[in-house]
Amino acid sequence: MPARTVPPDRAAVALRVLGVTALVGVVATVWLGLFVTPPDEFMGNLVRLLYVHPPMAWVAFLAYGVASLASLLYLWPRTRAEHFDRVAGASAEVGVVFTGLTLVSGSIWGRPTWGAWWVWDPLLTTTALLFVLYLGYLALRRVPGEFHVRARRSAIGALIAFIDVPIVYLSVEWWRSLHQAPTVLNPTTHKTYVHGSMAWTLLLGFVSFTLVYIWLMAHRYRLAKLQDREDSEGLEVALAERRAEAVAG
Amino acid sequence: MNGYVEAGYVVVLGTLSIYGATLVTRERAARRRVGAATSVAQPGVPTEPQVARGDAPVVNHGGVEDEERGSGP
Repeated sequence: MPARTVPPDRAAVALRVLGVTALVGVVATVWLGLFVTPPDEFMGNLVRLLYVHPPMAWVAFLAYGVASLASLLYLWPRTRAEHFDRVAGASAEVGVVFTGLTLVSGSIWGRPTWGAWWVWDPLLTTTALLFVLYLGYLALRRVPGEFHVRARRSAIGALIAFIDVPIVYLSVEWWRSLHQAPTVLNPTTHKTYVHGSMAWTLLLGFVSFTLVYIWLMAHRYRLAKLQDREDSEGLEVALAERRAEAVAG
Repeated sequence: MNGYVEAGYVVVLGTLSIYGATLVTRERAARRRVGAATSVAQPGVPTEPQVARGDAPVVNHGGVEDEERGSGP
């Protein structure tokens, strides 16, 4: 019988559209950020890092928020389902990548601005702690065990790690910090300190990298689901092979 | 322009590109392995793993994989 192809499912098509949209958004952000927006009065061209650095931090927070929400839903007996554990793991992994990029892009910005690649500033230190906490969470997920036992302890770990997220955000308000206070939505003054084309480009950066996050998380989720299925089917395959050997013998 | 600015953009975009490409590659490899494992478990039966409700079928009828599924930028 000739092989026939099946049209891609709706989720795959939606994921592809999302990927293309995210790519277009990122390309537009880079073009506007590097070539269209003006240099800053005080920082000069260094201000162009504004269009990538804060979006990295925002996405990291968003990823950890999603991981925590999924963990809560897993721990709640009425909503407990395997997919919430996978969402938590996928979101946290993407969050770790974005936190790493927040630290590196911030360090690259800090060198010409502060004269140092790294300072033990409250914001930087709590962000580094956040990175380590979620690396620990990812390590915890890999500790062998029965699925629900592993998922439950991972969910608790995710919620504990999330405590650091508001501390990171408010650290510039609570302690004397070298890092500037939030530029877009300042929690103290309730003012926005970026305007015009710079504001629109920054907004586009936030949206585009959020789409990138969703795209990455969806792929990580699908991979986790396949890996879980591989694990569960491994035993089945081994039994089938033994049966085939017995028949042949 | 400014070496630091370019470095920042290269690090961010490069890392995200590599991570995204790695995820897509690993997903495709896992999809192939799951398809192969199912055909071993059910010799003589066309490769078509069972699909949970609401999920994407992982292998096409007749064992033809849809290599393009789920790919993006």
